[in-house]
Amino acid sequence: MEVLERGEAEYHFIDPDDFREYVRDSKNRNWEEKLMDESDAVKKFVDSGDYLAYDFSSLTRGPQSLIREIIRQKKRKLWICAKFTLLESVLLAGAGCVDRIDVGFLGFGPYIARKVQNGEVKVYDWSNGSITYRLIAGAMGIPFIPARDLLGTDTFRKSGATVVRDPFTGKPVALMPALNPDVAIIHVQEADVYGNARVYGPTVATLETAMASKKVIISAERIVETVEFRKEPNMTIIPYYLVDAVVHAPFGAYPGGTQGYYEMDSEHYLMLSSIRDEDEMQKYLEEYIYSVDSHDEFLERKVGMKKIRELVKKAQILEGYR
Amino acid sequence: MRYTDVEFMICQAARLLEDNRTVFVGWGMPQVVAMLAERLYTPNITQVFEFGAIGPRSRTPFLRGTMGGPQNTYRSLQWCSMGLAFSYAQAGYIDYGMLGAAQIDKYGNINSTMIGENYERPKVRFPGSGGGNEVASYCWKTVIVMNHEKRRFVERCDFITSPGHIIDGKTREECGLPRDTGPWRVITSKAMFDFDEETKIMRLIAVREGLSVEDVVNDMGFRPVMADDIQVLEPPTDDELRVLREEIDPFGLVIKK
Repeated sequence: MEVLERGEAEYHFIDPDDFREYVRDSKNRNWEEKLMDESDAVKKFVDSGDYLAYDFSSLTRGPQSLIREIIRQKKRKLWICAKFTLLESVLLAGAGCVDRIDVGFLGFGPYIARKVQNGEVKVYDWSNGSITYRLIAGAMGIPFIPARDLLGTDTFRKSGATVVRDPFTGKPVALMPALNPDVAIIHVQEADVYGNARVYGPTVATLETAMASKKVIISAERIVETVEFRKEPNMTIIPYYLVDAVVHAPFGAYPGGTQGYYEMDSEHYLMLSSIRDEDEMQKYLEEYIYSVDSHDEFLERKVGMKKIRELVKKAQILEGYR
Repeated sequence: MRYTDVEFMICQAARLLEDNRTVFVGWGMPQVVAMLAERLYTPNITQVFEFGAIGPRSRTPFLRGTMGGPQNTYRSLQWCSMGLAFSYAQAGYIDYGMLGAAQIDKYGNINSTMIGENYERPKVRFPGSGGGNEVASYCWKTVIVMNHEKRRFVERCDFITSPGHIIDGKTREECGLPRDTGPWRVITSKAMFDFDEETKIMRLIAVREGLSVEDVVNDMGFRPVMADDIQVLEPPTDDELRVLREEIDPFGLVIKK
């Protein structure tokens, strides 16, 4: 294939044979209980320097309790996939956990914009579609996937994609390198102790992200019996053999919402999104993350029953979520 | 009734959509456009959201931050993945796309990434493409909605996030983009444009009531092609404004911005 143009960005890449070998040797196919608390899960499966991916966002079904635990454990030099991201990437950057971000959409508030402008955080521009296709390629075990976005634009030039002449049509087509993250963190409505998991509502890239990642931590609103999956196999999104750890995390998406359980906390969200300077950010991190030891303690001391009840009461739409 | 620039643009955009078509809907203003169109003009339009909601009957009022949540994805036809949502567009199933932009050039290339000369040290940094690049690359007809300010209409965008008709001298097809796609209308707070069939340059086809052609062109960094017959855009109707203000966005999250 004739290479017509190469994007200039560095990109995270694992040879599909190396990924397969990792899956063969390290992905646990035993029917073994993987339930653990978030502290153990993050200690065991998130390392400084990892490429980290997560599903959905800080508004809806994002893995916020796991993000807070990563910050608490002061993981460093993460490279994150900000496909559809808002405040979690801002918090990770504020805590000094992240130095590279692949961007689909990054809710650039003034705080993160400054981090990018002064070079503390390096951003690689892709798009939501191209990053999603990269995860699909990673999940399929292939080295790249062709697609017809990015073509012609500066977004392409600043990405890590390559344009070649398609041998079938003779037209230029973009090749997106597969993305196999080191670790994925995914919040779901229901999981069993082995890691079988399902989500309700739009999925963004739940399965692709889990399937493409070397290590996978699931946090779940509720833990259910395995028979629940066997009763409705169409609804199983993630099978157990993709998963390394299961964390029971009710209100795990807070301050975002989880469909069928609770709505987002708009007040907390606004407070967070109005953070402008370093001082305010460090105060927030101290108040809501460093000063508590666990998600349970966070809910008890920083959210409280009154707020929880209010957010549960707001979540009255159940259609499709049961 | 008096109306704001945003209300003006929303109403123009809502009138452009055709019924029994599919539309890729982005965050914020496009959501409100789609809701208004669905209520008044196009009851059978199918909205498609990138995170994986197809054909929702979104609840009103519009609430901040609920895009992927139960209100906005209420009674969808299908919930799916982002990969599938974009693939519907890439395979040709999506008629309309609707995008905002920080900058636009005469060929309809748009910038939603950064302002400044140095990419590494941007003067202003925006959220980036999101799904905008896919919408502009794949949808049959892309509608761009933006405030009419001179600094936004530029010779060359500081950063081309999403493709227009001619990109640094190359046509869309030469770049490998799908045939017969591209920006179709540009709606601003002062005017409406399409693109000249031959030159692919933005063409002024209508101006807002009370404004002259010169009022519009003086606020642009390049000179558009002029249509033979430049129309006057009908202002928002009382009915449109009532639905917008009372039913769709009573908190003014989008229309009062």
